[in-house]
Amino acid sequence: MKYRLAEIELSNPLEPIRLEPDETGIGLAARWNDRLVGFCMVECALGELIGIDRLRAIADEHFAFGILNAKVAAELDTHAPLAGPLPSLTVAICTKDRAVRLGRLLDSLVAVKANSPFAHVDILVVDNAPSDETTREAAARYGADYYREPKVGLNFARNSAINNARGALIAYLDDDVVVDRGWLHGLAAAWRAAPGAGGFTGLVLPFRLDTEAQILFEERGGFGRGFLRREFRSSSLRMPLHPVGAGIIGAGCNMAFDTALVRSLGGFDDALDTGAPLPGGGDLDICYRVLRSGRSMVYEPQYAVRHEHRETIAQLRRQYWTWGLGMMAFLVKSWRHDPACRPKQSAMVRWWVGDQLKALGKAIVAREARDIRFAWAEFSGGIQGLLGEYDRSLRRVATIRNAQS
Amino acid sequence: MKDPAPTDAGAPGEAMNVLHFDLRPGQEKVIAGHEASSAGRDALAVFWWGDLPLGMFPLSAAELPLGEGWRRSLAASFAAEQRSARDPALGAPLTARSDGTVRLTTSLEASVQIEGMMDWLEATANPSDADARQLAVLICTRDRPAALSDCLTALSLQRSPPGEIVVIDNSATQSARSVCEGRPGVTYLHEPRSGLSHARNTGIRAVSHEFVAFTDDDVTPHPGWTAEVVRAFAVTDAEALTGLVLPMKLETRAQRCFQMDMGGFGSRFTPALFGQSFFAATRHRGAQVWRIGAGANMAFRRSTFDRIGLFDTRLGAGASGCSEDSEMWYRILASGGACYYEPRAVVFHDHRSDWPGLRSQIRAYMRGHVSALIVQSDTFGDRGNLKRVFLQLPRYFLRTALGSLLNGRKDRGRLIPAEVAGWLAGLTYMVRPGWRSGRQSDQRDLAGGGSDDR
Repeated sequence: MKYRLAEIELSNPLEPIRLEPDETGIGLAARWNDRLVGFCMVECALGELIGIDRLRAIADEHFAFGILNAKVAAELDTHAPLAGPLPSLTVAICTKDRAVRLGRLLDSLVAVKANSPFAHVDILVVDNAPSDETTREAAARYGADYYREPKVGLNFARNSAINNARGALIAYLDDDVVVDRGWLHGLAAAWRAAPGAGGFTGLVLPFRLDTEAQILFEERGGFGRGFLRREFRSSSLRMPLHPVGAGIIGAGCNMAFDTALVRSLGGFDDALDTGAPLPGGGDLDICYRVLRSGRSMVYEPQYAVRHEHRETIAQLRRQYWTWGLGMMAFLVKSWRHDPACRPKQSAMVRWWVGDQLKALGKAIVAREARDIRFAWAEFSGGIQGLLGEYDRSLRRVATIRNAQS
Repeated sequence: MKDPAPTDAGAPGEAMNVLHFDLRPGQEKVIAGHEASSAGRDALAVFWWGDLPLGMFPLSAAELPLGEGWRRSLAASFAAEQRSARDPALGAPLTARSDGTVRLTTSLEASVQIEGMMDWLEATANPSDADARQLAVLICTRDRPAALSDCLTALSLQRSPPGEIVVIDNSATQSARSVCEGRPGVTYLHEPRSGLSHARNTGIRAVSHEFVAFTDDDVTPHPGWTAEVVRAFAVTDAEALTGLVLPMKLETRAQRCFQMDMGGFGSRFTPALFGQSFFAATRHRGAQVWRIGAGANMAFRRSTFDRIGLFDTRLGAGASGCSEDSEMWYRILASGGACYYEPRAVVFHDHRSDWPGLRSQIRAYMRGHVSALIVQSDTFGDRGNLKRVFLQLPRYFLRTALGSLLNGRKDRGRLIPAEVAGWLAGLTYMVRPGWRSGRQSDQRDLAGGGSDDR
């Protein structure tokens, strides 16, 4: 099972796409005048020639409305361009022992930096408790700033970045993404449209769909948050539990913040997103705290990256497990530190448990063994998160901190 | 990560602002009489492009003021929606589905070719200047002189003055007479027989204009209302027209609950044709004619009444409770006609402000709804109407009760007993002696008057 990942520019005439003999489908990203307007996945026959008629039918259904939308947005921009000086930007990449992927990401960054709307962009690589020098070497090759964070854990590394960032705006990237060519312009546009926002999140598309697990993950929703800009504030009448359901805001692999704000909030919680055994919840926590501080978060689809999804079903199952675990650890933490939101937090736990059981029940009824195991993974992760994982993590990071000081 | 399904309801019980936003660059929406709002409150936001209504959703106090980025992204989505709903090149006019909504479609080819989105939007938002002298506006009123006075004032400010304004006073004491005196172009009629349908029919008999529009005494029409009604009739063959009813204010728990939990008088911002396909789609389980609109903002070609008769005097406020409007639409559809919904024709409704008033209104709505279903079943033999009475409505009560429990929508839950009581009261019409055979002679007797007593 393998899908071709392709991109079409709809302002050009459609051209047929010939799948390779081992490809069984296509993941199609569409642009209109360079603006991303849609993504969809279509199952095809092995090695099929996807003709113009088929592509047109796909576009009618999935992309045509986005074109109308993009046209109005473009006209509004032409009519009254949002200009003004942009803040200085630090792009922070937290990585550990993955120099090859880091190089791939830096390649994509160098390309977008060449045409940067930001006057000042620096790239900061935080090497998290490395076991060799390959990351340092990779950073040096691209002229990126380099810091070593000896305390192992993603949020330790993110804090190291925030402490060392020169930019007034800091954009975090995970090492398993590459940036879309519109990434910097998307972030600039998002900032100009909401200069007072505390943070920004962006679209996450798949980097490749070469394995069953990668295709499944994307089909089950992936990191997708859609192609419409959204703005989040500290409460919403359309989402009763907001901002506790911070997951809808975006994903940690592609998020940016007002540097001063995050510093004033005390940085990231290093007991969340620690890597194993609690590799999640950190992005939820920081987005939640930004919103609770009274600043808004903006989701901007043009600020897009491509993420290399988990390769195997076992890894994917583990990812769902970390979602449950991270979500509940975040809720336990918020319950403790933000009592004003407790009614929403407990309502979220109730809703989440109900929703998970519903998914589990549906999978059981359908006798889909794999869905049952995915649902169970997320559910059991959540239960573990509820049962003291945050406290265990606090003790673990205290040990790590002590060992380094 | 997912989040619970969004709802239209916020924390109950608090007053909300109704805020109007003009999404044209650099514009603010000003509607006379709507300036007052209090800072720090949740709001129901209504979005416009000039005079073209685009959409509506609630915003929390924390979400205000709206930044420029948010305004632009809303403008883009709403504009795309309006274009696909209104541009003939994209398939307009669109046909209503069974739930009254339209399916917005566009094709790659059409989307690529279309140009000048803002110009098109400007042109579409261009206020109608259609001559409304062939339009008679009828207002049926009963003991609400102050509200009626506001309504008449708003009508006197119409960009296209109607040919005639007729106030039909259904009160015992003729309390509306003094309000109407001295107002040019306003005709006063007294209808002593109690019941909204009697009053409506008296008004219809009194006018001879090509179009007849109805609004209520607790309504303030938008200054372009009459002009938009006439413009809409010019582009459709439909016999009946309905328009958008926006809440004037949401100052009390009852008003907020009616709008946010009960859906108010609808919130569709795209035009829709309610024709035979709509009727056929749900006829077997009771055509959902109440989706077509509201009696507070409806109009008819006068010839319609010649063809299918007047309002059924067994139905409506003062009789069974309501639904004389939707029964008329049912008759139009069942006899091969069509209705058209055009949200550009806007009125503002002042919702009932007291909770007991809302409760009895909801009870009357349900009783009237059941009575109309019985009448529709009797007249046309459409048993689907009874399916709705005996199967769908009980199911709806259960589902709503469960939903309001699960989602903590207490106010919604508190209205269910009133609905059930209304339903039970409506059921008594099934067995009331003489009622079901009592279709009033009034209906087909356009010329006559006063001979239609039971």
